[in-house]
Amino acid sequence: MEPVPRSLKILTGITIVLFLTALYMVFIYAPREAIMGDVQRVFYFHVAAGWVGALAFLVTAIAGGVYLAKREPKWDRLAESSVEIGVVFTIINISSGSIWARPIWNTWWTWDPRLVTATIMLLLYFAYLMLRQGIEDPDRRARFGSVYGIAAFISVPVTFLSIRLFRTIHPVVIGSSDPAAEGAFDMTARMVQALMFSVLTFTFVYATLLRYRIRLGRGTEEVEKRKMELISL
Amino acid sequence: MLLQDAPAETFNYMAFGYSVILSIMGLYVLSLISRFRNLERDKELLDELSAKAEPSIENPSDATR
Repeated sequence: MEPVPRSLKILTGITIVLFLTALYMVFIYAPREAIMGDVQRVFYFHVAAGWVGALAFLVTAIAGGVYLAKREPKWDRLAESSVEIGVVFTIINISSGSIWARPIWNTWWTWDPRLVTATIMLLLYFAYLMLRQGIEDPDRRARFGSVYGIAAFISVPVTFLSIRLFRTIHPVVIGSSDPAAEGAFDMTARMVQALMFSVLTFTFVYATLLRYRIRLGRGTEEVEKRKMELISL
Repeated sequence: MLLQDAPAETFNYMAFGYSVILSIMGLYVLSLISRFRNLERDKELLDELSAKAEPSIENPSDATR
């Protein structure tokens, strides 16, 4: 495999520095929330992970559209890589939310519109990865993935808007919460800065992981191609 | 929780939350590293097999020996 390009090494270095700074901002720079206490700090990475999930699925939908128009395998590789990372960060988002909910809502899980829509979104993209595995022909797999990636993206705005459209106990941090929401809080300037920095950091984490995952996908395709050549000898 | 005058003692939940977040991220990075290593191994194996296959293409009688 070709060596890691310099640009990716630099991106990895920047991401590590940003990540360590984000940890400092979350644990030391941001103040302790007056009512919820330390568990509120989970919110910074919880929101950032949710953002990366949505961004990753948006990239998948766009890459799917470009693949259908141009039929270049690199777009399908981008779409698949992005879904994998999106699924990982959506799992982080849901599990960290569940841990936050235990002391605040007094339950690990409740069938709230936001939790339900986020879970449906996660299952849809899990299915994307599993169904791709079942298709042997690369062209068919790429076409299926592109169409599925575009259609499944509907779940992303539905998840985002669920706390604004339906009656819910999930707090809305940016905008006004439902009166029934539990765990809402007013953010101080330092909390806003820690949140914004976490979102920026996670965007860099996503970009870095995506580039490595695309390299892995390209390498895997090369190996598969060589295997086929050897078999046909 | 609303009638209290001091923050709730929720440090353990925060610690648990960040352990889960960092563990999932760490596991994903480890899975990428492991898949890169497997890929390298596959490539080395294919290089070996290609090197063995080449003489038998040039001289098919080698393949029967």
